[in-house]
Amino acid sequence: MQQYSVVGKRIPRVDGGVKATGEAQFTVDVVLPKMLYGKILRSPYPHARILSIDTSKAEALPGVKAVTSGKDTGVVRFSFIDTPRYPADQCPLAVDKVRFIGEDVAAVAAISEDIAEEALSLIKVEYEELPAVFDPEEAMKDGAPRIHDKIIPTTTTAWQDFGVIREARPYDAVNNISNRTLITVGDIEQGFKESDYVREDRFEIPATSHLALEPHAALASFNPSGKLDMWLSHMGYEPKRFWLAKTLGIPISKVRIHKTYVGGAFGGKISLFPYEFLAAFLSRRTGRPVKITLSRSEVLSTCYTSRRFIINVKTGVKKDGIITTQQVKIIDDVGAYRSSSPTALYLAHVFRPAIYNIPNVKHEGVGVYTNKLTTGPKRGHALPQISFAVESQLDMIAEELRIGPLELRLKNLRKKGDVLPNGDTLDSYGLPEALKQAAQSSSWKQKWDRQPKKGMGIGTASMFSGAHNYPFGSAAVIKLNPDGRFTLFTGQTEFGGGVDTAMSQIAAEELGLTTDDIIVVSGDSELCPYDIGNWLSGGIYVSGQAVKRAAADAKEQLLAYAAEALDIKADNLAINQGRVYVKADPGKAVSFADLYRYGIQIKDGDPIIGKGYTKVVQDVGFWGGTFKGLGALSRGAGRFTDAYSFAAAIAEVEVDKETGKVKVIEITIADDCGTDINPLNVEGQLESQAAMAVGDALFEEIVTEQGRVINPTLADYKIPGVLDTPKLTTISVQDYETKGPFGAKEIGETARGAAIVAIANAICNAIGARIYSLPMTPEKILEALKHSDYIKNWPTED
Amino acid sequence: MKQLITLRVNGESYEVAVEPQTILLDVLREKLGLNGTKKACDFGNCGSCTVLMDGKPVLSCLILAMDAQGKDILTIEGMAKDGQLHPLQRAFIDHGAIQCGFCTPGMLLSAKALLDENPQPIAEEVRQAISGNLCRCTGYHKIVEAILDVAQSSQRKG
Repeated sequence: MQQYSVVGKRIPRVDGGVKATGEAQFTVDVVLPKMLYGKILRSPYPHARILSIDTSKAEALPGVKAVTSGKDTGVVRFSFIDTPRYPADQCPLAVDKVRFIGEDVAAVAAISEDIAEEALSLIKVEYEELPAVFDPEEAMKDGAPRIHDKIIPTTTTAWQDFGVIREARPYDAVNNISNRTLITVGDIEQGFKESDYVREDRFEIPATSHLALEPHAALASFNPSGKLDMWLSHMGYEPKRFWLAKTLGIPISKVRIHKTYVGGAFGGKISLFPYEFLAAFLSRRTGRPVKITLSRSEVLSTCYTSRRFIINVKTGVKKDGIITTQQVKIIDDVGAYRSSSPTALYLAHVFRPAIYNIPNVKHEGVGVYTNKLTTGPKRGHALPQISFAVESQLDMIAEELRIGPLELRLKNLRKKGDVLPNGDTLDSYGLPEALKQAAQSSSWKQKWDRQPKKGMGIGTASMFSGAHNYPFGSAAVIKLNPDGRFTLFTGQTEFGGGVDTAMSQIAAEELGLTTDDIIVVSGDSELCPYDIGNWLSGGIYVSGQAVKRAAADAKEQLLAYAAEALDIKADNLAINQGRVYVKADPGKAVSFADLYRYGIQIKDGDPIIGKGYTKVVQDVGFWGGTFKGLGALSRGAGRFTDAYSFAAAIAEVEVDKETGKVKVIEITIADDCGTDINPLNVEGQLESQAAMAVGDALFEEIVTEQGRVINPTLADYKIPGVLDTPKLTTISVQDYETKGPFGAKEIGETARGAAIVAIANAICNAIGARIYSLPMTPEKILEALKHSDYIKNWPTED
Repeated sequence: MKQLITLRVNGESYEVAVEPQTILLDVLREKLGLNGTKKACDFGNCGSCTVLMDGKPVLSCLILAMDAQGKDILTIEGMAKDGQLHPLQRAFIDHGAIQCGFCTPGMLLSAKALLDENPQPIAEEVRQAISGNLCRCTGYHKIVEAILDVAQSSQRKG
């Protein structure tokens, strides 16, 4: 492996200082002169027609500056997914009817939060309740309440804006079907025939909250000249300003998203939220800045959760454990609005082929509208769900065939260099090594057995490094300062993962500088170039590549100027510590600061400014009427991603048979992220996901009754605290990805899915019974134990 | 009915008019501009709003501003002294114990209260001391490590 001087080093994060002192400005902290406070009135019904809204009393309340309802905001649609086939389906304020408890119905801007709150109570809304449906399998039946009327698109999609000649079509949600996915590889009929053993199981995964500690918040300042300034808690500004421009009917260049630090995201702050639109809308209405901060209970009961999947898996294997066939059927209980369902149902398939080589696969998904909270992406987006189903069943198959769970997995792995059915290539594939090292480190061979009380479980997962979503690529700019330091402009958003630090390391490495020499300007849509954003794990792989190329471009310019200034060919020059020197005579050198001045004095003022860019999945693209290998979500056609990363997790647990409580003893994660740009942050990402997985596996669930979230506080919705977090061992196996910047690929999402599976399988290993849903609560464990032989041989307490 | 009270925060006295129901957290953030103290759960469940009152960690969302009169309040803004980071702040940065940073102020103050009271805690005592401070990003390990490292280096020095 190559030796680097900045990349691969445990460099403390560049934003550590401002975060340790409390100076770091989050959206909730930003205050503007004359700022108003916005509050939102929400639907008390899961499904109802709005007959009338009377805002007159609220408007008359002293201190209230504006009240608005769907009558003003109108039918203007937005969504996470917005394709010609699946047009946007949500309006910022309900217009004709409400479709879930908590849906935005009206909004107020007032001089204080208390007054705004009081004004909400003065708005009179007359509803006609409609029959509601909460169960997706009921919702699909004939005669079920119809949640959406025909959805007529109100704006062009990003695809059309990029020239795809395919108009968004009206969408008729017959039987509440929001979307469908069908992906086939090989021939499953034949595959099942050739199998010696087939089993079919059904798994259910509930909604969970991202629970980023910073609540969702937006501050908007609309200047009458037509300029909108916004501060948002988000994961990348491109989709935000895309939708703000579309829904407000203003040019995209007039929307500026300012940099703030983001207090956690985990997939929960990607697409436009009604409160963000409303802050802007109310600011335009009042001519004053408007801030809307959601309370924790609003976040938990109105913002999108993770996706609720019911997954049926049927798998065929040979006697020796070779998997021949897999059929997956998913019902995605999308809730009131489609959000990311088509993406999720696609991802639930495309995350799998890179792990095991299964020749015959049929993957069917259906998204179904229900009168519940909308669901969306969360760290791994469908990865934890599908991993739980498939990898739970693999353990059952291993048990039936009396093959060890680790051996079964090793038998079915792919090989480095494999070309997947869609054309993606595994140029890097650290999974076998990850499994090996996780097993060694956790003493799997010594500890795994079929005995009660203590259990060991294993899980694997793979993840993309960026995909072909709007805006389809990233660029970066870097400019030389008079003192020889560089200022880097990247559209990446720092929400905790350490991307500001990683980008400064990448630029510093390329330019022979230190991170102290790179000033990072990120997350500001007005200053920074276009950017893919920080989801689907494209941050380092995509934007990092753009940053590396920008730095390389600047370096080339430095060398060209230095060659002239030193009167020597550029080939004979090298760069180090802010100087360009002659390789054969290192004493002969010119500093970056000198070259800054050289550009001005000798080169007619031409400064050193580097530009870099990269397109995600170059084989996929479109221009005008022509497509270049276009991918299709619903058919899983075309290339998916340029690089996969991998995680293997092993968990050790102990179950108390009296209480059903689980103590997670240790989680070991071995992960292949190509290259650790910063080992400190890589460990941080893996530890983060392991801890989060404890909550997913053991207790996290957004519980609804008749569509109402009944645990909308942190007292009722528990997330792992330090005492819930076990010993965490992280291992980075680093299979260098030649296409990534310095060999790097995804790090932030894979391990969560693997760790959830590992814990779940460990619990089932400890109790000698299978639990088919998450979270594995004490009640479920006690129930499963009733049917387990293990209970007879349970070791007596020490 | 608003009432004028005096609060002593980070060694400075402030006169502020508050309602009887006003919580300390809102005064710190909205009246004194001390935004380092964070509001994340509204109900005393997450520890993000932790400040020290006479050296003890308290949840400023559960303390009435009026009840904070006459107490010495320390917020994250008062932790660094004379332009020098507190050793805990330094250790949090160096150990990678900070990610999004939203829980960091509360976490640091809980840690400070522990070390002020018990300069040589064992790992379990550290875990207990921060058990009321939720962090969604780090998995806590690097936070515990950072706190133990400060305790150990003070032992080496002492």
